[in-house]
Amino acid sequence: MLVVWLLAVALAGSLITLFMPRQSAKVAAGIIGAILIGIYVALLMHPGQGVNVRWIPAWGIRFHLGSDGLSLFLLGLTVVMTEVAILASKAEWGRMYYFWILFLEFGSLGLFSALDLFLFYIFWEVVLIPIFFLLTSWSGAKGRRAAMKWLIMNLFGSLFMLIGIVAVAVIHTQPAGPLTFEISQLVNIHMDARVTPWIFAAFFLAFAIKAPLWPFHGWMPDAYGEAPAPVTGLLAGVMSKAGIYGFLRIMLPLFFPEFVQYQTGLLILAVIGLIYGAFMALRQTDMKMVTAYASLSHLGMIALGIFSLTRVGILGATFQMVAHGLMVGGLFIILGLLEQRTGSRDIAAMHGLNASAPRMAAYFLFFALATLGLPGLPGFVGEYLIIQGLVAHEVVFAVIAVIVLVMAAWYMLRVFQGIMQGPDKGQKILDLKAGQVWWIVPLAGLVLLLGVWPNGITAHAVPSLYHAVHLLAAKGGGV
Amino acid sequence: MSSFHLMLPEYLVVGFVLLALLGNMLVGNRFRLASWLGLIGLLSSFVASASIWSKSLEPHVMVSGGIVVDNYSLLVNLFVLLAGIGAILLGWGERRWGQEFPVLVMISVLGMMILGLAGNTIVLFLGIEVLSLPLYILAASEHTAAGGEAGLKYLLLGAFSSGILLFGLALLYGALGSLSFIHFASLANTTSPLLWAGLALTLSGIFFKLGIVPFHMWVPDVYEGSPSAVTQLMAFGTKVGAAAILLRFLDFGFYLSPQWWGPALGYLAVLTMIVGNLLALPQTDLKTVTGILRLGHAGFLLVGVATHNLDGARAMLFYLLPYGFAVLGAFAVLILVAGNQDTVTISDLKGLAARRPLMAAFFIIVMLSFAGIPLTGGFVGKFYLLQAALFANQPGLAIGLVVGTLLGLGAYLRPVQALFSAGDESRAVPSWTLSGAVVLVVAVIGTIGLGVYPTPVVHLVNQSANFFWLH
Repeated sequence: MLVVWLLAVALAGSLITLFMPRQSAKVAAGIIGAILIGIYVALLMHPGQGVNVRWIPAWGIRFHLGSDGLSLFLLGLTVVMTEVAILASKAEWGRMYYFWILFLEFGSLGLFSALDLFLFYIFWEVVLIPIFFLLTSWSGAKGRRAAMKWLIMNLFGSLFMLIGIVAVAVIHTQPAGPLTFEISQLVNIHMDARVTPWIFAAFFLAFAIKAPLWPFHGWMPDAYGEAPAPVTGLLAGVMSKAGIYGFLRIMLPLFFPEFVQYQTGLLILAVIGLIYGAFMALRQTDMKMVTAYASLSHLGMIALGIFSLTRVGILGATFQMVAHGLMVGGLFIILGLLEQRTGSRDIAAMHGLNASAPRMAAYFLFFALATLGLPGLPGFVGEYLIIQGLVAHEVVFAVIAVIVLVMAAWYMLRVFQGIMQGPDKGQKILDLKAGQVWWIVPLAGLVLLLGVWPNGITAHAVPSLYHAVHLLAAKGGGV
Repeated sequence: MSSFHLMLPEYLVVGFVLLALLGNMLVGNRFRLASWLGLIGLLSSFVASASIWSKSLEPHVMVSGGIVVDNYSLLVNLFVLLAGIGAILLGWGERRWGQEFPVLVMISVLGMMILGLAGNTIVLFLGIEVLSLPLYILAASEHTAAGGEAGLKYLLLGAFSSGILLFGLALLYGALGSLSFIHFASLANTTSPLLWAGLALTLSGIFFKLGIVPFHMWVPDVYEGSPSAVTQLMAFGTKVGAAAILLRFLDFGFYLSPQWWGPALGYLAVLTMIVGNLLALPQTDLKTVTGILRLGHAGFLLVGVATHNLDGARAMLFYLLPYGFAVLGAFAVLILVAGNQDTVTISDLKGLAARRPLMAAFFIIVMLSFAGIPLTGGFVGKFYLLQAALFANQPGLAIGLVVGTLLGLGAYLRPVQALFSAGDESRAVPSWTLSGAVVLVVAVIGTIGLGVYPTPVVHLVNQSANFFWLH
């Protein structure tokens, strides 16, 4: 039942902020975010059964929420990153801003806990709306175009997925079976070989656009660039995981034979994204865009882990989702603070800032090193597991992945050097304030904890993945 | 239950039409009185329809097959009465339209109700005419050049389409020798050219009312010139009536031979969804936008008929309700924003989010429902239609529906984004009116309610469209 409380409090909280006085909306949102973290901790201790009640009986749709090892830590990522985003936002952005942030949290929590495909789809689209309005009203000059692009591109994928969802349910009723949208029941369907590729493509498109994976990232540069830093943090940290989560939760159990069939193609797609993101990150002069393309590259890496179709690789992807969310989210928010202080995002315009802002430089370096996969930090663990999964059968891709890892160090450190080091040209900025330390230290601590104790996640995730991966074995997958 | 009881909803409307006419005659020019009579008449008819529906009766056939009262016709009553009540409330303060406005709305609604229970071609034609004649006058109730143009255009094209419809019906009678839909089914096993022509012409006549591409040319001009309250009635009520009779006509009369009309309907549905949504993109006049988008939605409804299965019929009926709520809500906002202006363009919406946040929020919800975003009724309606299309093994319809939705997105999202632009400070802040607020609140509650917990309404439509002979 705690999952339901999580959702209910997030929804009620978002509505409460609407009725708060303008200046205290941030405080209210912060308190609600903290309560949600509290509920989440309770959930972590008692990961119960969730809830499963009839919703629209005529169509066999159930209100089925639950949390297992796959989703439990993504729920955690959501509550933590939302709280960080709230605390990193400005109070004068007003109550609507905090309403949308909390509504986004509600949608994401629902997305990561839905076990009924219809319910999953509802939340899948619900999360698009807050981002649309956040981009419309609280973003840069080209925010509206970015918002439009975000919504239309994502809906393009989602609507075809909707056809896929209904098609899967309809196929499940033939020749004799109940109409149901329960994921755990739909995995037993037998699809006609002529329709399966189409349904596979419909699901794949939706998840690949949301993530985004190359070449479906058209909305990404605009949206990441225009959104205010906390929203970019949520987009890259939480939203991008929704697409990856869809692969793990829905596509792997449903389409394992197709994954085996198309494995090489999918791996090539992921590896192109990996390389493309890295090269684009190297070329950017805008520090936010470097991180945006770095994130695209990392998502390619996570996708490689999934498409390796080995238990280790998938486990690595599961772990990396959470770790990457925390790291890249933190990085975007630090960059946002930097932008606020300097008024620019151009790497060339900043030099030697570590002289005036040593603390900020330290945290920047910490998150940058975490993303580039320094041993001891979680990026390394995730990437190690993914590469281990690849080495078994797909050595070529493992080698490419390792080479790109070197490039990751190059593009991340290039930004750090450019901004923080180098000749001190008298540019002075304000260092981190005491109020900001409150959220940045716990976030960094959490990253560090995952780096030295990855077992905290992997031990939980393994049983859940067993379910997916065992099923694969039953369907003839070589694991 | 006696036939008087079964027809009580219709009798109530007729009675209140007479009362309002009498009142207008005796008491003089009393707009308020007529409006109240109209409101009470339609509300009481609504209650009567609902209470008869809840007794879940067997279908009753009267007047030698001309009138069929069943759950289906009663549900159609509920929908069109909702549209009529909405029209009267939205036109509440508009004295300049004269005291005949509520009376004409009631007569038009009566025509829509007749379409719901028509069982033969005579009653079909009667319904179409009773529906249309008052609308010709209503379209011109704004005494401006645009209003006159709208009325005249609607009259001429409407008369033309009625002629086509009548010719088609005559050919059908010639080919089959019967007027009653139920007899058509058993008689229509020949492939005489007379029958083909009759069917094609009849469908064309109905498509005109429904605004299906390529019979849609009249829609933008008529919508732009007519007062918003009337446009609402055309967009919601007329569509319910025309869709209801289309479904009844085809699923009662020609259910044995769907191969004749199914593919044609399918192609028209896809064409309408795509063209309708494409045409809306460059428009700036909001009434025209809503009017053209209505075309897209007519295409969605046609999907339900074209699938020719039980799910399709039910999905179409279901879709009418969230669509209707969205139309009511959108026009309520348009009327509130317009104030005394004739037209509302997208730029009139600028700054509304800052000045009237609640109004803007309601408008957003309604627009998202049109666009079919989850947690609104529009999404559940589209989902039902998709189910119907795929159960009928017609993925083409499903893809058309999705493509149409995508094309329409831009048209729905531009007004929404305009709400957040910096507004023109010289414009008066739109003020709330009680009647407008009532319509808007009901529409928004209905939209969200259908999106979050559609189960009761799904039950309602499933009970109403029990055409067991479809499968």
